[in-house]
Formats: sequence, structure tokens, C-alpha cells
Amino acid sequence: MAKIERAQKLFLKALKEKFPGQDVESQKAKFYAFDGVNQSPRKKEFKAANEKIVKERGIDMYDPERCHLGGVPMGQRQLMTYEVSGTGTFVEGDDLHFVNNAAMQQFWDDIRRTVIVNMDLAHQTLQKRLGKEVTPETINEYLHVVNHAMPGAAVVQEHMVETHPALTDDCYVKVFTGDSELADDIEPQFLINVEKLFPKKQAESLMNAVGKSMWQCVHIPTSVSRTCDGGTTSRWSAMQIGMSFIGAYRMCAGEAAVADLSYAAKHAGVIQMSSHLPARRARGPNEPGGILFGNFADMIQADRKYPNDPAKAALEVVGAGTMLFDQIWLGSYMSGGVGFTQYATAAYTDNILDEFTYYGMDYIKDKYKVDWQNPNPADKVKPTQEVVNDIATEVNLNGMEQYEQYPTMMEDHFGGSQRAGVLAAACGLSTSIATGHSNAGLNGWYLSMLMHKEGWSRLGFFGYDLQDQCGSANSLSVRPDEGCIGEFRGPNYPNYAMNVGHQGEYAAIVGSSHYGRGDAWSLSPLIKICFADPALKFDFSEPRKEFARGAIREFMPAGERSLIIPAK
Amino acid sequence: MAYKPQYGPGTSKVAENRRNQMNPEVKLEKIRDVTDEDVVLIMGHRAPGQAYPTAHPPLAEQGEPDCPIRKIVAPTEGAKAGDRVRYIQFADSMLNAPSQPYQRTYVEMYRFRGIDPGTLSGRQIVECRERDLEQIAKDLINTNLFDPARVGIRGATVHGHSLRLAEDGMMFDMLQRCVLEADGAVKYVKDQIGVPLDKKVAVGKPMDEKWLGENTTIFHVLGGNPYRNDAEYIEYIQRIHSLRTKYGYMPKE
Repeated sequence: MAKIERAQKLFLKALKEKFPGQDVESQKAKFYAFDGVNQSPRKKEFKAANEKIVKERGIDMYDPERCHLGGVPMGQRQLMTYEVSGTGTFVEGDDLHFVNNAAMQQFWDDIRRTVIVNMDLAHQTLQKRLGKEVTPETINEYLHVVNHAMPGAAVVQEHMVETHPALTDDCYVKVFTGDSELADDIEPQFLINVEKLFPKKQAESLMNAVGKSMWQCVHIPTSVSRTCDGGTTSRWSAMQIGMSFIGAYRMCAGEAAVADLSYAAKHAGVIQMSSHLPARRARGPNEPGGILFGNFADMIQADRKYPNDPAKAALEVVGAGTMLFDQIWLGSYMSGGVGFTQYATAAYTDNILDEFTYYGMDYIKDKYKVDWQNPNPADKVKPTQEVVNDIATEVNLNGMEQYEQYPTMMEDHFGGSQRAGVLAAACGLSTSIATGHSNAGLNGWYLSMLMHKEGWSRLGFFGYDLQDQCGSANSLSVRPDEGCIGEFRGPNYPNYAMNVGHQGEYAAIVGSSHYGRGDAWSLSPLIKICFADPALKFDFSEPRKEFARGAIREFMPAGERSLIIPAK
Repeated sequence: MAYKPQYGPGTSKVAENRRNQMNPEVKLEKIRDVTDEDVVLIMGHRAPGQAYPTAHPPLAEQGEPDCPIRKIVAPTEGAKAGDRVRYIQFADSMLNAPSQPYQRTYVEMYRFRGIDPGTLSGRQIVECRERDLEQIAKDLINTNLFDPARVGIRGATVHGHSLRLAEDGMMFDMLQRCVLEADGAVKYVKDQIGVPLDKKVAVGKPMDEKWLGENTTIFHVLGGNPYRNDAEYIEYIQRIHSLRTKYGYMPKE
């Protein structure tokens, strides 16, 4: 390890904007003179809204002057704005709570309401058992029918209630295949065109992986998965798929072959976005706790859009993952309240993690000659313990020194858990991209944690005592109940199930080991292709930009009910 | 062979300070003299002079079961009397405060009995029987483990350890439990939980930058103690990590 020169400081612009007119390297600041919450335009908006609400409902609500610490409102120091990293957009911290951000909600909605369903099994039943002809024409006809039925319209029965198209316009079904000839015969409106959407090399790999198979990507209405849960998605999807096959192929509605189609759509041929969790956590499939990190890395599409910047691709996974796993999963499903948001946002605001990670890129290029901007498996470094230790040590020391040299940055990441997650993520990403090995990346993460703890004699909250101080021992283990390769770990992996500030970064460490190699996918080529679909409400190639749009109220979500409620 | 604690690696001043704070054979340096009464006021658990509230009868009256562990471990005075378990919690500035969260915990574990420390990034709490706590708290406040400006005694709303310092050199405290007065002394005007005190409690003058730099237990480039410069410390952490990675918690070489 040896410090390298890097003149660029990606976080400086944000610090100067956050602390206007101040020396961002000074150790002194003015406090206690900011008029509390009134310094924040958003919190002033909250207060104004509260006045109206209290008049209308007659019950007290938001009252920080009275209720915060017996009359000492927050805001005794400067309430900062945040730049969503990589976007140049400055937002209020409040706007990054998922309740206040429609893009964040839609991101999760779009995952929860998605299943991928194999069509080959159904086609074999139709052809072999029922003697039906399956051709591109019949497939196109089926796709017309299923796109009518999936949002909640009838295809077989008479006198049925149906859902309003304007309430379910986010619902549709598209298909993809690795068979170019077949793909050419599918109506473009229904096709996820792998060859057009992916860079050539990635497309070739994906087409080969999918082969002659055909898969349908089903996105049920947002309002349905919100009213019910993730477990509903495959059930709603299977019901409409079954009815559509009956209608499109003129089957008997009650014949036993229908059961084969149902079984294929509900079980044998369905790819859930996540597996169900054990009873003590009591969640069905398609809920956040069951998403494998490798699959999550495939949902995020930044490596498709920016194939020559694995660091950016990984940082987008960090942003998306911390939002989902910290803010929504641990922060709300498993806990509740508002505190978790700022654990997560530290990793995707103010370009701090970005700067630390690009330092890592400079380091692996300088020392190990890894041409990270030309991702390929050939120049990856052998993941020995010495290499992991070297990269993680240098990237961690640099990060700690940056925090020390810029007291405003330390103030920005005012909690130890924030800093721990960011430092360890930079180490994990750098190690992963250098070695192309996800477990080596995880091992780099844990060295960072030990080094951080010893250097500053502090780490995160109590939970870090467990997860991060014993992580060295399990990061290269694949023994059952103790370890797994990174791609197959997930938020419910034993040691990962309780700690905010980790899971999104782990997913990125896993993804970056593949982005650094130029792989077309991390774990599932099917999921990679499914979320490349530009018709999705949320753009999975730019999660941070989408969250920023949500924060400044420019993101239009699905599942709105304004059509069926009184106008305000 | 009897176990001989090493108190950690490192060739730097920070490493040496850490070892000296931990090692019970090294006497903590007494710097100030905050009285018993004032310590009780800052902690806010009982009024000075008030009898210690109890959680159970004195052990002598309780009829202890015949237990080999009880024969080995002598109870502390607070345990003997049946005192409640109470706490003192510190926030330590990353800008060269003399002790830091994990360091505090290690120090307490080596030097005191019957304690239950908890360590976070922005605060460190130690809990024990109330009369024992008052003795321990005196050591924690009156010695070189404490600085009136860079260390805060804070039960809740501890925010401040990582922030810039106020213009007068005090660590930020949203509740401003203590203030630097014109006479140069820091005085607590609220107890550790933030309840206003009837009288101000002086805890002495802030230590100067030179003393803080020489006595701190945190590595910090601006504080004059860059972590990178202590190669032995770095190597030790890498070694621990490597051994745990390869062998779990049964290291062999």
C-alpha cells in the first residue's frame, strides 16, 4: 500500500454547496443560530401543511417546537441539503425518505410486481397434449390477449367486472428469447429486444444463455401489489396467463391440461424476484428480504448503459440497494420510523463514496495495471489474501484521511455507521473490480471495518460488533449456515439480517465483480434482460437520477387513484 | 504461563496512550477535582445526600444460594447493598478527545469491576451499581481520560462527536448542557439527560491543543497523528484479518 496522487475531489462541489460561504477544511463552525427547523424550506412546508391538517381533523400533528426534546427543535446546527451522487441535483434530506419520494416507491413497486414466466412449458402442453399449433402468429395473438387480461380484463367469461385501464396502465407483458429469428417475428411492442438494448458483447452472451427459450416478463398493476403483497404477483399473473391461453388458443376452460398451464405459470416456470422468508420473518416471495444480491445486481442496469465504467455501475447498485434494503426493508418492513434513511443516503449523496471508489480505481490501475475502463476477465488480479489486504488497506486509509482533512465531510457523515458503510463499500468495490471475485470484495469490506474500528476507536452502532467484527471469518466460507458465494447471499443471510448500512453495498460488491470483468450478468440473465425494458415506469439504468427526480417531484409514478377519488 | 496483557500494538504516541490508559498498573493522571456532589448532580440519578435507591435487599439479608461462582467472585459494594444499576455516558470528539468509545470500554474493562459498557460511534455508556458508578465516574471525569471541551457527558441527544467544533472550541451539543464561561471554565448547566441544574457545576478549563495532541487516543491527520504512519498497527490488523479469514477463530500459523 502506498498513497497515490489524486487531485480530483468529487465531493468538493457538494460540500461547498452544503456549507455556503464557509471554509470546508475548517475545524470550527458557528452553531445554535439557525432558527431551528425554520432554516429548512421543506420543514417549513411541513409546518404549513400541519396547520391546515390540524384545522381539518382537529387532532395535533407535526409540532417540532413543542415536541422535539421538550422544546429544543432540531436545527441547532445547519440542516444540510444533499446532492444525489452522480446527478448534480441538490435535494432536501426529507425528500429522500421513501414516503416523500414517489420514485423510490415506484422502484420497489416495479420489482415487487414483476415475475418472469417461462413459455416453453405452456407451448409444449399446447402442442404435444392438445395438438395446437404454436407459431409466431399465435404467440403474437396470445400477447394481445394477455395484455388485455393482465391488468384485470375478462377474456373468457361473460358479465364480468373489470379494472379501469387508466388505473392499471403500468401493467403489461413482454417477451424475450435468444432465438433471433423468432424475435424478429414478435410484434415489436411486445418484445424486449436484447440485441438492441445491450452492448454487442453482452447481447451475444445473453442470447446464448437464453437460447431457444421464450420468457414473458409480467408486471402486474402497481395498485394490486400495493394492496396485496409481493406473493400476489405470481398468483395474479398465473390466473391471467391461464385465462389468456384458454382464450387465445381456444381451449376448454375446464380441461385437465389447464392445470398444466397453471402449474407452469405458478410454480414450474415462474422466476420470482425473491424467495419467501422463514416463518419468523413471515414474508412471501417478491418481498425485499428474499432478493439474492446477485439478482439485485442484475436488476440494476447501469452496467448495460455504462459498460466502460464498472465503478459507476456499482455505485448505482449501492444507491438502489441502500434505498431498498436499508430504507424500505430494514427501515420499515423490519423496524419502522425515519432513522434508517440517513444511514442509506450517506452512500448515495454528495459524491463521497464515489470519490473513495474512484480513488480505488486509480489505485488498482496504478499498482496492478487493471484497465478498469475496459472491463475484461484477462487483467483481473489473482484474489490472494495479500492483494485483498493491500487494496482494502489503501482505499480505507485514503477514505479516513479524506474525512479527517475535510471536517465538513465528517460533519456530513455525522454517524459512525454512515462512515463505516461508505469506507467499507469503497474497499469492497475496489477489491471486487480488481479481482472479479465477489467474496474477495466482501473480504475487503471486513478488513476495512477492522481497520476503521482500530483507527478511530469507534465503528457503527451495536450491531456492527457482530456483523463486521466476525465478517472476516465468513467472507470466504461457503459452508452451509456459515457462508455462500456472494451472488447467493441476500438480506436474510444469517449475519446480514439485522444491520442497516450493509446490504445494498454487498449487492454492489457482488455486481461489481462481474462489471469489472465485463460480464453480461451477475447471476440471472433472465432478470438482467427483464429490467432492461424501457417501458418500465422506473428507469433501472439510472436509479440515483430517478431518486433525484422523485426528490424534486418530477417523477411520475404508477398506481395513482386520482381518477376514482374526489378532486382536490 | 500466566497471561500477560499486551494492550495492543503500535509504535505511535496514540498506541502508547492507548496502552497506558488500559494498563491498570499505570496510574491515571489526576487533572481536576470535581466533587462527589457535583458528579452526582451531572449524572442526575439521585439528589446529593439522598439514600441510594435499591433494586433488591442487601445480599447479606437475602439468603444467597450455595453457589461456587458466588464464592469466587466478591460482590462490589453497590451489589452488596442492592443498589440500582445506573449509567454514565460520554460523547468524545474525534478532534483529539483524550479517550474514544472502544478505548473507553477497554479501559473500563481493565480497570473496573462489575461494569457493563456499551460502545457506539458517537457515545459510550457504562452501567453498574449506583455507588460503584459514582466512584468510577469520578475517575472518568477527574483524570486524563477527560477534557471539558472535547468530551461531553450526555445521556441522550449525543450528536456532536464528528462535528466541527464551535467557535469557542466546545464540541457541539444540541442541548448545550455545558458552556464555556468567561472565567475560562466549562460549567454544566444541565444534567446528562438535559434537565436544568439548580446550580452550575464546574468541570475545569479545557486542555490546550498541545496536551490534547499528545494525550489523544485517536489517529487523525489534522490532529498530528496519522494512522498511516503507524505501520506496526496496520500490519497487526491485517494479520488478525488474515488469520480470521483463513482459520475462523482458531488461528494457526
